[in-house]
Amino acid sequence: MNKYIALIGLILVLLGCGHKEGELFKNPTSKTTGIDFKNIITEKNDLNILDYLYFYNGGGVALGDINNDDLPDIFFSGNQVKNKLYINKGNLQFEDITETAGVSGNSTWNTGSVMGDINGDGLLDIYVCAVVGINGFNGFNELYINNGDNTFTESAAKYGLDFDTYSSNATFLDYDLDGDLDLYLLNHAVHTQESFGRSDIRNKRNFQTGDKLLRNDGGKFTDVSEQAGIYGGANGYGLGISIADFNQDGFPDIFVGNDFHEDDYYYINNGDGTFNECLKTFFGHTSQASMGNDVADINHDGRPDIISLDMLPEDEKPLKSSEGDDDIQIQKLRIGHYGYHYQFTRNMLYINQQNGNYLETALLSGIAATDWSWSPLFADYDQDGEQDLFISNGIPKRPNDLDFIKFVSSEQIQKKIINTKLVDQEAIDLMPSGKVHNYIFKGGNDLRFEDKSGNWIVNDTLVSGATALGDLDNDGDLDLVINILNNEAALYINKINSKANFLKIKFDYPNPNHFGIGTKVFSYSDGNLQYKELYTVRGFQASSEPMIHFGYGEKEKIDSIKIVWPNKTYQLLRNIAVNQTLIISPENTKPFDYNTLRPEPEILFKKVKNNLGIDFKHEEDNYIDFNRQKLIPYQISDRGPATAIGDMNNDGKKDIFFGGSKHISSKVYMQTDSKYIEKKMVTIARDSIKEDVAAIIADLNNDGKKDLFLGSGGADFYNQMKPLLDSYYIQKDSTFVAAKLPDYFENASVIKANDIDNDGDLDLFVANNTVSNDFGKIPNSYILINDKDNFSLAKNEELQNAGMITDAIWNDFNNDGVKDLIVVGEWMQPKFFKNQDGTLIEVNLLDQKLNGLWRSIIPFDIDKDGDVDYLLGNWGSNTRFKATSKYPMKMYYADFDLNGNTETIVTIEKNGKYYPLLGLDELSGQLVNLRKKFNTYEDFGGKTIDEVFDKKSLENAILLEVHELQSGYLENKKGHFNFVPFQSELQVSPITCFLNYDFDNDGKDEILAAGNYFGVIPFHGRFDSFSGAVIKSKDEIISGHQLGLDFAQRSIRHLNIISLNSKPYLLVTINDDMAQVYELKK
Amino acid sequence: MIKNQLVIVLTIILLVSCNKKEEPIVITASDFHESVDKIGVVMVHDIFSPPVASRVFVYPNIAAYEIMAQQNETYLPLENQLTDLTAIPKADPSKPINFKLAALIAHIELGRRLIFSEKTIETYRDSLYQIWRSKNASEFMASKEYGLEVANFIGVWMDKDNYNQTRTMPKFTVDSDDPSRWQPTPPSYMDGLEPHWNKIRPFVINSADQFKPIPPPPFSMEKESNFYKELKEVYDITQELVTKGDESEEIQIAKFWDCNPYLTVSRGHLMFAIKKITPGAHWIGICQVACKKADSDFDETVYAYTKTSIAIADAFISCWDEKFRSNLVRPETLINEHFDDNWKPVLQTPPFPEYTSGHSVASGAAGIALTSIFGDNFAFDDDVEVPYGLPIRSFTSFNQAADEAAISRMYGGIHYRAAVEVGVKQGRDLGKFVIENLEMKSNSSKNNQ
Repeated sequence: MNKYIALIGLILVLLGCGHKEGELFKNPTSKTTGIDFKNIITEKNDLNILDYLYFYNGGGVALGDINNDDLPDIFFSGNQVKNKLYINKGNLQFEDITETAGVSGNSTWNTGSVMGDINGDGLLDIYVCAVVGINGFNGFNELYINNGDNTFTESAAKYGLDFDTYSSNATFLDYDLDGDLDLYLLNHAVHTQESFGRSDIRNKRNFQTGDKLLRNDGGKFTDVSEQAGIYGGANGYGLGISIADFNQDGFPDIFVGNDFHEDDYYYINNGDGTFNECLKTFFGHTSQASMGNDVADINHDGRPDIISLDMLPEDEKPLKSSEGDDDIQIQKLRIGHYGYHYQFTRNMLYINQQNGNYLETALLSGIAATDWSWSPLFADYDQDGEQDLFISNGIPKRPNDLDFIKFVSSEQIQKKIINTKLVDQEAIDLMPSGKVHNYIFKGGNDLRFEDKSGNWIVNDTLVSGATALGDLDNDGDLDLVINILNNEAALYINKINSKANFLKIKFDYPNPNHFGIGTKVFSYSDGNLQYKELYTVRGFQASSEPMIHFGYGEKEKIDSIKIVWPNKTYQLLRNIAVNQTLIISPENTKPFDYNTLRPEPEILFKKVKNNLGIDFKHEEDNYIDFNRQKLIPYQISDRGPATAIGDMNNDGKKDIFFGGSKHISSKVYMQTDSKYIEKKMVTIARDSIKEDVAAIIADLNNDGKKDLFLGSGGADFYNQMKPLLDSYYIQKDSTFVAAKLPDYFENASVIKANDIDNDGDLDLFVANNTVSNDFGKIPNSYILINDKDNFSLAKNEELQNAGMITDAIWNDFNNDGVKDLIVVGEWMQPKFFKNQDGTLIEVNLLDQKLNGLWRSIIPFDIDKDGDVDYLLGNWGSNTRFKATSKYPMKMYYADFDLNGNTETIVTIEKNGKYYPLLGLDELSGQLVNLRKKFNTYEDFGGKTIDEVFDKKSLENAILLEVHELQSGYLENKKGHFNFVPFQSELQVSPITCFLNYDFDNDGKDEILAAGNYFGVIPFHGRFDSFSGAVIKSKDEIISGHQLGLDFAQRSIRHLNIISLNSKPYLLVTINDDMAQVYELKK
Repeated sequence: MIKNQLVIVLTIILLVSCNKKEEPIVITASDFHESVDKIGVVMVHDIFSPPVASRVFVYPNIAAYEIMAQQNETYLPLENQLTDLTAIPKADPSKPINFKLAALIAHIELGRRLIFSEKTIETYRDSLYQIWRSKNASEFMASKEYGLEVANFIGVWMDKDNYNQTRTMPKFTVDSDDPSRWQPTPPSYMDGLEPHWNKIRPFVINSADQFKPIPPPPFSMEKESNFYKELKEVYDITQELVTKGDESEEIQIAKFWDCNPYLTVSRGHLMFAIKKITPGAHWIGICQVACKKADSDFDETVYAYTKTSIAIADAFISCWDEKFRSNLVRPETLINEHFDDNWKPVLQTPPFPEYTSGHSVASGAAGIALTSIFGDNFAFDDDVEVPYGLPIRSFTSFNQAADEAAISRMYGGIHYRAAVEVGVKQGRDLGKFVIENLEMKSNSSKNNQ
């Protein structure tokens, strides 16, 4: 007891003495700094979050040295309060010169503010955006031209920049490389009848809401949006803007983040004054309610990566009481019918891959959920050479609170809205607060970030918005300035100081682009590349100090710095000392060859024209598993089609069999001398009702001709429905004749042949994956023993109940000269069955718990130590699933509501407790009584699984677990196996198949891995960005997009080697898509 | 503080129990109206779709009716008249049971079970219990015991109506490739509601498809086709109404009968719900208006509610059977696609297939049931929607009101003519079957009517 009192006393003392400081940042207040700007917003009956959708988005902040004293000054724009300009007097002392400077502003509602040299005189001017023309907002975007004497002259009209539209921000770029700075004006839409509907609304220009590209024509800005191909529709909810040379051709490109339902825009600069918007080509999916975004090279490959923010809460309570992702059918409609792209409500981190799509890794990088987030800023805050990430956060009221939407709003506001169009404060007060602390993440290797919130920084309770970066105290490290809603602006002063080394670079580029906007810097030290490109408008409604900053940890010397100027020339600086500020002007420049940034990849694979005649397109049927079993973690019905290679007409050439999905017949392509030709196989096609998921072509009856065995699945047919029966066709002359099989009604996943009993014929292992309408129940898998003309089921209970098997191999793991069986599957561990005189006996060779969502296995000596390891394809770690051996993902399987149908409840651990993965709507959609137990979302939010369900029903349920989600390999340690995960690039998607072949013709086999998977509800997103990989050894893994493979945004099912004219080709079977054929280039 | 309050409460209880003599508990029709209203308000809050709402209304009424009919010979019990309903437990004659009170208690109890937000009903119940207990503890206890016993009995029967099973049945699969097929509609594109409602056990009708209507006009976008003409008619009517303005009779009618339990409104940063009563609830409200006007006593009131709610419940089963059989696309989808992509119906399109109109079927059936109770040409002032900001409308008969409710769906731009005309016929045919097959009043009493 005394101990507690002492502890409490200690805490009180700690709290009492001064304000807290983070380990890396301190927050001096206005008392010491003189910065007393407060962006106070005043809610009125006719002006609030219900009247103006961006009422809480806050003002802007711009950092830059306006008086050329080498100290960055600070400009804040206020929504309803006057703007403020503070002169930096050194030592973190600031002076408010707003009045004398003449920049307090005249518009009713200001938004983003940015500094830039608009008139090309070497002095930073200030452009302040405004929302004008709704809610009685007056004014226009104001341009304060710097007079050079701490005074400014508002000149927006003179420059043609006095827009009276719904502006949120603006950014500078020299898109036509003519030497002067052009402007991209980011405008936002408001909800109107016109802003909903088909995506092509974006083609119809709308002056108020549409973005604008403004070309600088000698001091007058011309709107060239239309001719340049910039969208400007009524649905452009533009909140985030980043400029970078994304494709590294020397011309600046544009990334725009749009809120709500509108897609983000990815404009590639064609170099001729026009842009090509190609988001869908390069991004598999994006954040939905996109807010601020930022660009930096986070993985040292010299290419700009992107983060785009959304508002997925991390904390359980708001997570479960906020609106989440779309329903799956609505998503289908939005995409198929209305033309939008895949969008999900979480932050996205896009890793730029040369010539390839962006790898989206936010979940595995650990930065996907930071709640109501506004401004992301990449920078090396701790100066260790890795880009860290700051994210400003918070909203006074959460308008997406489900209780407010469904229960509170209507009763409180309904009449007022209908009758008077007014809403009173009382109603708004009923929305819960969303004052979430700012986040800061320490960048690490392998695309991972570590949350340092509450450690590097103190967890605040403010509503932080626009944020700018700069070195306010000129000590070399990066400080932050944040425009706070209804409170004093915040300074985050970096305390790394001399503990780690830095380099600051400023440019003295010829006017009119004095600050060198668009200049690229490559820093090389000890073989480590760091890359930056100077654009000052970053994050959200803000601009940062125009400089480049690198951290170097303890390194004292930088080997070289390459500076590539906007005019495509470059210069090299060698042996640079750290801890200094360089001011660089173009000197001894040489033309820069941008091709050096885009080296021709060493193509191993090249798509063959006409696919060698294999015009197979798999069509998935319309069946949605989630319509029937609403709570299952993923689909089963989309695991096809089957692919099998073998001689189907006894001409000595191998042919191809492709399975069909439900009611769509299978297809056979016969190999001829010049190409493959489809051949109708009447007897096989007759069984088109079946969904063929697995197939083998092999001589099963020992008559010298290959036969066909098909495993049916699809998870739609159930109980003892005939289409669940597998099929066996014997090749007779030129036709196939159906043959008898034992009756078993299962959803097949894989079939593997082997002469188990050593009697000279092939026996089969037929694995099954799931029980239709009863997910969670273990299906039966069978050994089919070949007795001349007949297959019979062998008794083997262990194997029969092995689990939800997805893949299997026959491989002699115990080196006794007889092939053994290894099976992998979902919610189970890899299982080893040794073949002992024709009987398969399970042996445990794993040293750890290793249940996974395994999808594939292949033997390969990956560590080159002479024994056989096993590569395993798993779900990947880029997912909202979460599993470790300490805190496995758990799935409870039972008939919870005792209505004769089973349910599965997936739960994951968070801070030591288990919570259901899905929300109240999803769970109560199946288990209605939960609505009685939890009348509101607030009741439900933050409830652990034991609180949601009673203990007894959980105890009575069958529990399935997953301990490992990462793909990797089982390292062979003298016959025992230890799991080693692959690197992050191979964890972005489920790996569904492997293929062993000497692709590069070096005499050694490599493994080609492929994957991606879309069979999940929008809550999980879409695993679409894995472009395949060639695995040479554990240390040499080459991403598929560098080798010519086009796997991104496709869900690969099978990889096979086929041949034509004895030349090998790679055949790729894809779910719901055209098959691909590649020739091997070596 | 808490202690003090406790003392005061205890004192009051003591005083009450000491000083007051037991007096009989009097339960009137207005007590029953109040219970119906309370459950109705919670239903609006909890958001029940129209078919589910019809189920929430009917079972508590049946429980109350069966108790009431134990004591009043004018009314015949429903055992063996409603599918699978057997005789309720008999009351113990040795106990001082007040059957009206027991009926009301059973009504409240089943209502509580059927809604989600139990607290509101529990508070209401407990305050009534308090009053009754203080008036006459023994009568209250005996009535409560019997009321709950019957509620449990009806509850067991209710739980076997397949409602629970239909929760786990497949969701409606959208197929936007087939232009004739229903697909989710703006603004919130909700899933098709209750695709398996035809599997709910019916009450009087033999099967969900007993009153299967003629099919809708075959889908065709050929200008000469009946279907196209009906589509065009919906479009033309709303275009005309736009010029006539909000004050026009047609728009007034459409809004009066909107009865949408979950209307999504987009405003500022928000999409939120505006909630009203369902079509079934509106007719339960009309039943109340009629009871009050006819000055019906408690027993007659329970009878009226029960008969009306049975007709409505069967009407929804029949209508939903057809909706997910014909799976017809809503006018809004086609008009946006073919005529005008900015067109919006006067009312928000509800989230289920078009044919037949649910309001028309329910109104048709309810009109017949109410006419059988109160007679034809029973004029009344319908003030049911007043709490939702709508005016009072006057009608000369229930069937006139039903006709207006039906046509309101065309004015509202959410139904074609066939769905309305065939729908109201479907409802009336079903309603007639229900009243002809239900024997709720003994012959002697019928003759008195």
